[in-house]
Amino acid sequence: MTTHAPDHTDAPDQTEFPDQSAPDFSPAALDYLLTLADDEHMVGARHTAWIGLGPFLEEDLAFCSIAQDELGHAIALYTLITGDERTIDDLALRRPGADYRSSWLAEWPCDTWATALVRHWLYDRAENLRWRNVASSTITGLAALVPGIEREEAFHLRHAEQFLSRVCVEAWPEIEPALSELLAVAGSLWTPPIHEPDALAEGVAARSFAELGTEWRQLIEADLRRWGVGPERFTLPAGLALPGVDSPQNSRNERSPHFAALLEDLNAVASIDPTAVW
Amino acid sequence: MKTYEVFLKKAGKDEFRHAGSLAAPDDEMAEMYGRESYARRGEGSEMWLVERAHLIVGDPDELLVNSTKPHRHNDGSAIASRRKRLRADES
Repeated sequence: MTTHAPDHTDAPDQTEFPDQSAPDFSPAALDYLLTLADDEHMVGARHTAWIGLGPFLEEDLAFCSIAQDELGHAIALYTLITGDERTIDDLALRRPGADYRSSWLAEWPCDTWATALVRHWLYDRAENLRWRNVASSTITGLAALVPGIEREEAFHLRHAEQFLSRVCVEAWPEIEPALSELLAVAGSLWTPPIHEPDALAEGVAARSFAELGTEWRQLIEADLRRWGVGPERFTLPAGLALPGVDSPQNSRNERSPHFAALLEDLNAVASIDPTAVW
Repeated sequence: MKTYEVFLKKAGKDEFRHAGSLAAPDDEMAEMYGRESYARRGEGSEMWLVERAHLIVGDPDELLVNSTKPHRHNDGSAIASRRKRLRADES
């Protein structure tokens, strides 16, 4: 995931770079950043599984462009944590599973176009709220990312809206099972970051995940109604994204059953030759 | 699905140029796909899209050049040879 400038003979030796040591984040702030970063990383990685497989060429390009945006957000967040983009690979790819903070929805394999599309919508609805929530963060590097990312996120939502609004009723026989499958794990988006109260007290973010989750649920419901699927046709699971609901995904330390295989996939090339530099 | 033709213009005095075509169900999605297919790396700052069915297409037969009309083709050689002759006359 690390990107390098092209090799120039006059490029300074790596040791000549000033040592940009990692910024000194509190454990709560660090966990909060990882929660955002790992979700972006896993969703971006999952989206890329659709490269070349989109339902038609134009949509393939658009969806992969979204995947690239999400991976870009992950790179920006990991870089914020390590203080140096050249050192993010260990953080992004080589932690033990329990040290990741991603949600089950982000890790979920979406092997049909309907599930991929629905996850994209559910996640980007959440992402929109999450980025707005850190627009005035006391972590200035985090707040500084928001304007650029929100431009991309507006496009992601437009894309989801345009696609789903056109097919939701007609393709409901495919969308309903996809939605039901994903809603069973989508509440995990709002499992609070570990030490969230401390992070909020520090001003890392404005509102709690519980609050955002309630708003997200209303937005999801309103979207469905607008797309022709009102409550008479489909109701959200009672406890979805509501605080205090007991769920197997209610811990940021617990990975979904699909995570190990995903991480192995992401490391497949790098692990062929761990000493390779690219 | 409909077929759209996409035109892009860079900032400055350059004219709009044909960038390519795409398939989309309607105008709104065509605009989105136009951006993603042809302009996501800043290839243009303005974009036109037109549904191919709305293009007025010229008849290729009407565009054929009549080879028996050399007087239509001023490549400057007639004037150049005349000036050369005049210069030679003067000296």
